[in-house]
Amino acid sequence: MTGAPEFSRRTLLVAASAGTLALTGCTSFSDSDPADEVTAAQVDQLAGQVTAQEALVAAYTAAFAASPELAAQAAGLAEQCSDQLARLRAAAPGAPGPATGTPPAAPPGDPRATLRAAVAATAASHAAACPDFSGARAALLGSLAAGLRGQERLLA
Amino acid sequence: MSADVLAADDGPDPDAARAEEDAALQDALAAAHAAIWGHGVLGGALPEADRPVVVAGEEAHRDVRDRVAGLLRSRGLQPAAPRAGYRLPFPVLSPVDAAALGVVLEDGVAAAWVTVLGRAVERATRELAVTVLGATELRAVDWRTRAGRSPVTEAFPGL
Repeated sequence: MTGAPEFSRRTLLVAASAGTLALTGCTSFSDSDPADEVTAAQVDQLAGQVTAQEALVAAYTAAFAASPELAAQAAGLAEQCSDQLARLRAAAPGAPGPATGTPPAAPPGDPRATLRAAVAATAASHAAACPDFSGARAALLGSLAAGLRGQERLLA
Repeated sequence: MSADVLAADDGPDPDAARAEEDAALQDALAAAHAAIWGHGVLGGALPEADRPVVVAGEEAHRDVRDRVAGLLRSRGLQPAAPRAGYRLPFPVLSPVDAAALGVVLEDGVAAAWVTVLGRAVERATRELAVTVLGATELRAVDWRTRAGRSPVTEAFPGL
């Protein structure tokens, strides 16, 4: 496999009566796995999910500009969000590169509440898109949605 | 060229793909059994005030267990049974230990459901998986917080 993003996947192994709880295993995108094939429509849909995640990264930037306190508290969440974007771009054939341009304006109202709403909306978007895919891309979108739900909880 | 020389390529074997989904669901069911058992340990190690959290988590895992078992039965399969016993990954001697065990349980369930997502051929199965995965991560965030972990969120739960 060349140029394909890899990710580890832990699997809970439930052993027998003398067993133990252990985490192991891995998987990756595959050029030969039919489950990882995408249609033209799915390529477009993945590009849309990339755009949604880019908007969330921008929302973090805007919220942090409006609230230095929030920036100090939630820098790790923004970093995770950027990591998600990188993985999503790698999973999206033909996805555009990183967006450039002026940073978004500070959102009106409470930056934390605005950011939380953006996180929730992006989580819902990835969760809704997830069942439209199969294989590693379904796994990735589902995981991203879950990760963002965790962020939403923390921003509450 | 004779058609007998080369095997026909009829695309992926649907029966094999369905078997992979069923196997992943069995693993997710096994993870639910383990989580239910583990919540018994959590309940014994946490103060009474935390009991609602434990009960809610256990009920959530029981609901998933029942749903997956029913799904497998509807496909003519025998659902995986709980093990006779489990061994803890570390001693659970304090509330912090219990929270750490809660993280292990939820992370294990998350990994199992990500596997389901990766192997499912049925859209309805993926819809179930993404729902369960999200709920699992919410509980994991709570346990990581209680365990004093940092960060308490994960970018890629289950992967």
